[in-house]
Amino acid sequence: MSKSRKISLTEEELVRSLRNRERIAVEALYDMYSSSLFGVITRIVNETTTAEDVLQETFVRIWNSFSSYSADKGRLFTWMVNIARNLAIDKVRSKDFRNQNKNQDIENTVSAIDEQQSTTYKPELLGIKDLVSTLRPEQKSILDLVYFKGYTHVEVANELGIPLGTVKTRLRMAIQELRKHFN
Amino acid sequence: MEDVKAYIESGVLELYVLGEVSHDERVEVEAMALKHPAVKAELAEIEASMERFAGEYAVEPPAGLRNRVLNSVLTNLANDNTFRSRQPEVTGKIAPMPVPEKNDFYKYAFAACLALLVVSIVALADIYNQLQVSAHQVAALSTQNQHFSKTVSLQNDMLIMFRDTAYKLVKLQGTARNPSASMMLAWSPAKKKVMIDMGSLKLPVNDKRHQYQLWAIVTGKPVNLGVFDVKPDSAAAIKVMNPVENPQAFAITLEPRGGSVNPTMANLTVISKI
Repeated sequence: MSKSRKISLTEEELVRSLRNRERIAVEALYDMYSSSLFGVITRIVNETTTAEDVLQETFVRIWNSFSSYSADKGRLFTWMVNIARNLAIDKVRSKDFRNQNKNQDIENTVSAIDEQQSTTYKPELLGIKDLVSTLRPEQKSILDLVYFKGYTHVEVANELGIPLGTVKTRLRMAIQELRKHFN
Repeated sequence: MEDVKAYIESGVLELYVLGEVSHDERVEVEAMALKHPAVKAELAEIEASMERFAGEYAVEPPAGLRNRVLNSVLTNLANDNTFRSRQPEVTGKIAPMPVPEKNDFYKYAFAACLALLVVSIVALADIYNQLQVSAHQVAALSTQNQHFSKTVSLQNDMLIMFRDTAYKLVKLQGTARNPSASMMLAWSPAKKKVMIDMGSLKLPVNDKRHQYQLWAIVTGKPVNLGVFDVKPDSAAAIKVMNPVENPQAFAITLEPRGGSVNPTMANLTVISKI
């Protein structure tokens, strides 16, 4: 259980021990998924301190509402990442967060603008450069809007000025591309 | 199978994985996944690639965050364990709400009220009886008081009569028919008052149909001065009779009750001359 050795379990073992409310399950859950979830949260929130808070809330939510998860309905990660995305999107859309961004200090403004303007300088995103290049721009933007901005497909259709059916097919094509890329 | 293929290609499964479907759509996707292995397989593919996709964006959180997150979750775990260990006990010992206690209170209160009412009625009856007794006593005392005051008043009259030199005491002697009879009366020429001394009466007791009548003889004619009774237990000391002026003599006759206009001389009992 040392920090250096991360705990890893199979998904079935993890789900079973989470159901049994075991301590080790929480640690394994964190070690196995915190970076993926934190990546998604960071992309959405764009602010480290808030992202950390959201990650904490996410794990508490996962733990408290674990009884509502059913392995029949999908992978554990799908369920968890949707919790993380929803909490992060709620946070971004909350009044507090928006006010906080409006009242930033001058010193922070430069870096904040930097963050907003270019994503290429983010060191954590360097590794996915080739992945992004496999997606066509319209596929990338639709995935961004839905996955990282929390747009509903109706909102995406309005935002991009395309029919609802096109949103669905484009999203499907984007994910098909990803599948091809990973295989 | 064509339907299933079209369903897969509609893009709804991707939206499902991204959590962007309505409740009805979610139910539908889950039903389709159960029914068609192809849908289930497609879902698994999409999920796996989205997990990989997220993995590509993975950012290692700061080292300190691990403990913070674990602590906040484990605080919940502790809470959860507290609840979990307690819950079976609680479910085993579920007891009805102590509602009867509340009912009992009113029952007892009602009983207490009834008891109090009974005690009050008894006490009231007792006090009423005592009050009646007291009222009788007061009445008796008041009667007695009246009697005394009357007696005192009569005694006073008597004293005045004896002290007042204006009164003349006249002794009436029994006639031949009643030699033992005698009585005293007082007459004041100034006040014209006539009083009989009932204490010194020595007359036979009259029956209910007759009464003694006092007469004064004024210028040779009898004048009625009133009637009186002679009773064996008579307590009255003095009886005030009708006033008269210049009597030459007093006489008493026995007359029918209420008195007569003219004296029945045959029943003349006592007589005197002034």
